[in-house]
Amino acid sequence: MRNKFDKQLSQLNTELITMGALCEEAIINAVKYLTDSDEDSKNACIASDRQIDKKERDIETLCIKLILQQQPVAKDLRTVSAALKMISDMERIGDQASDIVEIAPYVAESEIESRTHIKDMADATIKMVSESIESFVKKDKDIAYTVIEHDNLVDELFDRVKDEMIKSIAGGCNDAEALIDLVMIAKYFERIGDHAENIAEWVIYSVTGKHRKPSHIKEEDL
Amino acid sequence: MNKKIFRSSFLTAFLVLITTIILILGILFQFFEQQIQTELESEANYLLQAVEKVGIDFFKGFDSHNNRVTFVRSDGKVIFDSEADTNNLDNHAEREEIKEAMENGKGMSIRYSTTLTEKTVNYAVRLSDNSVLRISRNQYTVVTILIGMLQPVLIVILIALVLTLILSSRVSKSIIEPINKIDLTNPENNDTYKELSPLLKKISEQKKTIEEQLTDAHKKQVEFNLITENMSEGFLVIDRDANLLTYNSAALRLLDITPPADGNVLVFCRTKEFRDVISKGLFGVKAESAMIRGERIYSLIANPVFENEKVIGAVVIILDITEREKRETLRREFTANVSHELKTPLTSISGFAELMKEGDVSEETVVDFSESIYNEAQRLITLVNDIIEISKLDGRKVNFKKETVNLYELAQEIISRLKDQAAKKNISLNLVGENTEVIGVRKILDDMLFNLCDNAIKYNKENGTVDIIINDTETGVSVIVRDSGIGIPAEHQDRVFERFYRVDKSHSKKVGGTGLGLAIVKHGAIYHNAKISLESTEGKGTTVTIHFDKSKEKK
Repeated sequence: MRNKFDKQLSQLNTELITMGALCEEAIINAVKYLTDSDEDSKNACIASDRQIDKKERDIETLCIKLILQQQPVAKDLRTVSAALKMISDMERIGDQASDIVEIAPYVAESEIESRTHIKDMADATIKMVSESIESFVKKDKDIAYTVIEHDNLVDELFDRVKDEMIKSIAGGCNDAEALIDLVMIAKYFERIGDHAENIAEWVIYSVTGKHRKPSHIKEEDL
Repeated sequence: MNKKIFRSSFLTAFLVLITTIILILGILFQFFEQQIQTELESEANYLLQAVEKVGIDFFKGFDSHNNRVTFVRSDGKVIFDSEADTNNLDNHAEREEIKEAMENGKGMSIRYSTTLTEKTVNYAVRLSDNSVLRISRNQYTVVTILIGMLQPVLIVILIALVLTLILSSRVSKSIIEPINKIDLTNPENNDTYKELSPLLKKISEQKKTIEEQLTDAHKKQVEFNLITENMSEGFLVIDRDANLLTYNSAALRLLDITPPADGNVLVFCRTKEFRDVISKGLFGVKAESAMIRGERIYSLIANPVFENEKVIGAVVIILDITEREKRETLRREFTANVSHELKTPLTSISGFAELMKEGDVSEETVVDFSESIYNEAQRLITLVNDIIEISKLDGRKVNFKKETVNLYELAQEIISRLKDQAAKKNISLNLVGENTEVIGVRKILDDMLFNLCDNAIKYNKENGTVDIIINDTETGVSVIVRDSGIGIPAEHQDRVFERFYRVDKSHSKKVGGTGLGLAIVKHGAIYHNAKISLESTEGKGTTVTIHFDKSKEKK
């Protein structure tokens, strides 16, 4: 019985790693399309997103099967419940990556200054997603903590991009549509950063059994 | 085993004890009964004689002790009883023992009480007057004796039980001890029960077999490890669930894994190519793919492992194909460049020839065209010569004669050859140094120096300078060609020694050249075991140093 349970848990782990890797690919390809307008990257990103959606359903089914058939307890239960939460975040990352791909052509033409900061945001976000997946794969809570710290950087960059946009509008920029699209893209990156942070938090939960220290959450709520 | 021996020895002892007690009791009882009968008989005989002599009066004041004495007349009437009133007693003529005594002279009977706890033994004798004298004695039955003796018997049994317990445990332990003491690591060296020796012998034999098999397996493992460890290719074996089973250090290095490595292989690498190859391999299909990781390019090959037609895992081989890919790219570029360089003069030649074929060209133009055709043909010849030269150096098949070459004189000669070319751009050529000799092939050294100086002039600015410095130091001879030309951008500096590599991609004919000059210099330097270094600043000039190492030169 335990043998089968172990097998299912290992399958869950493999599926989650695959889904995580797909998320990484989705965001990397989205950024590549944003910067290089490379059609292949666009298609790859959309394909990844589709696979992510499928994986989410597969993993969900597997988790429910695990809970119903094996009644996991303690660490195993945490693994399963964290997995259930994590896949929602991963799915959102995939969706937002494909959203970026959708609006990227509209900003490709414009020569707005903030593009450099958007690029910084993109790099920081890719790093966060990669590290959050890495922390899950290696079950390493230290990497997870760095991901959480990293989110502040992405948030800061978002604020900067926003300020620059406001200045551009005030300065009479005539490419309003591109500006708004850029703000959207920046917001998507910021959201992806948040999802990566969530994944890191679930990693910490599944490893230690404790949620992230409440002080941090309070800060966020305020 | 200890328990079993203890239990059986204890049970045996206990059973023996109980049986002994029962048997002894039975025999003793028999014996006592006999005793009582004899006593009764002798007492009866004594009384008989007394009564015969004294008559009935004998019983007056008679003390019968424990026995009941009854005197019965020949008609059965009781005339004396030591314990009961004679008037109350009925006629005894029909009593078994009395009847018997009347007939045979003596008689005996045993009567049990209703509760069976007592029995009465009667013994009767006939007197000479046919009257009968009876003596009775009450005796306890076996049951009564048993009940009476219960306590001491129980105590005895209890003591015996305790004794048996202790002894049994001792005995079983002492039987087991030698077995426990058997040294299983050396089964044959034991001095124990001889019944065990076949078993020990068998164990010893099997031990040897196991040891041999283990050594064999170990040897094979060591061999396998040696082979895999010395592979430059990464080698991974995974099970059906993609868990890592075996790996070599090359795999760890290539995938950048810090040991110990176990668990799911996707933990260490989760790129799309890797995942696809693994899942295909585990699906039962051989898969190949190229993966870019960092700056290296890897080729991944996954082979499924079958057992009873079911996939039980996969073997993954990882090859570092970065160099191969690089060479492949170089080769492709080389082919493209060669065809381009060859095509350009040919196109011109063909164009001029075509115009001349039309015939609508003046004499003057024909001469002009012919010159152009001649020039282009010359260029082609130079190019083909260069290619031949470089392939000669490349193949190292040539055995040029090595001689002592004076570099200073060689440089002077080259300067004189290039004077006109330099004068066109008003470039001054300066030679610094003194007579310095190296051992080498004059033709190749000439080509090298000529190409360097030629480049220094070609890529120079108007009124520029070219310095040729020949240095003879203790470590070796160095030739430095320094120009004040356009320089080479940093990103191209690594590649200018490649064949046909041009900083200016337009392959402009303005400066001429085949794109093979520096490649020839490089291969010539390799031929002479010399080192080339290049320093350049864009817009300021380039310095190329060829250093001939003295220690290597002598070889």
